[in-house]
Amino acid sequence: MAYNKEMADVENLDTLFLAECKNLHKRISCDFIGVALQKFHHPDVNWPYVCGNTNEKYKHVTVRYGKGIAGKVIATGSDMLISHFPENILGKSTDYPIMLAERLVSAYAVPIRVNGVPKGSLLIGYRKEHPIDGDQFYKVKEAVENMEEFLPSYFKN
Amino acid sequence: MELKSSIQASTYIIQAQEEEIKRISNELHEGISQHLYSVNTGLEFLHSALENPDLKSYVKELAAQLNRTIQEVRLLSVELYPSSLSTLGLVAAMKSYLKQFTSTFGVIIHIDTIGHEQFLSESNQLAVFRACQEALINIAKYADTSEASLRFIWKDNILKIEIEDDGKGFHLKEILGNTRCKGIAAMKQRMAMAGGDCQISSEEGKGTKVSLSLPFQR
Repeated sequence: MAYNKEMADVENLDTLFLAECKNLHKRISCDFIGVALQKFHHPDVNWPYVCGNTNEKYKHVTVRYGKGIAGKVIATGSDMLISHFPENILGKSTDYPIMLAERLVSAYAVPIRVNGVPKGSLLIGYRKEHPIDGDQFYKVKEAVENMEEFLPSYFKN
Repeated sequence: MELKSSIQASTYIIQAQEEEIKRISNELHEGISQHLYSVNTGLEFLHSALENPDLKSYVKELAAQLNRTIQEVRLLSVELYPSSLSTLGLVAAMKSYLKQFTSTFGVIIHIDTIGHEQFLSESNQLAVFRACQEALINIAKYADTSEASLRFIWKDNILKIEIEDDGKGFHLKEILGNTRCKGIAAMKQRMAMAGGDCQISSEEGKGTKVSLSLPFQR
């Protein structure tokens, strides 16, 4: 998606994030896409932008830095792949609230960085077991690169 | 005879586990947290005394990390054992837990109290609290619903609690017959240990209701 820096400085930051989510949703036809971001001046993480959600639970979910799939991705700065939730996961299923909230079975989450520091996470998820291949990895990374361009404006607001 | 000793053994295990959890929670709150606060105070002192801007900023970052750690330790301590249970009582401890529950799982729980809260021993309060916790976590994990309700009914000599959701429900006999589903058995066991009872009713597509009751003396 073409990005004009001035666009992000105005009020349509929400539109930009949601448009990026919807665009990715179309390109990889997954069930759910969510952007988790750290709160302003606070390490807690919430899900301000989602697409393909089946309920409004995401609006209330706040995970601590290092907790949940998004908190872990932000804390470690590494991608995270869950193939068949809740089997073969580290810890308990309750440590993955967004997977429970949206009844996801397979998911892939990637860090979104500001000046090289992870401040958010982009997650794609499926409600049935679904392999995540190289093409999807590539498309997710591409969306993350776009989001990284306007993410600094989110923290400036 | 064998059944009785098996119940006694599991009662002992649950009690021993709870005592250990409480000990670790206290140690985190009153031991480790206090030491971390002391280190934080020292860092604040260092920050004000330093003149080198790089070092000042480094110490500030360390203090911020330490503050996060203090917060983590405090939350972990509360997660392990709700200390407000003995200071503020069952209903207040449950309200506090529900806030954390909603911000973790996104499920809103409407709480309602009928009658006046009565004194319960700490072990009985804990049994009820843990049974409620188990029922709520089951809602987050399996019910596929965004809202549920929790009602405390205080009568003269008995406390009744109803936890109800309108989620997808389940076939009760199948679940009770599944040896992997130990959560419900644990709830029943905890309530029985406290001299109370736990009943569950559920139907596929029509939600689930957990009814706890605990007699007490005024």
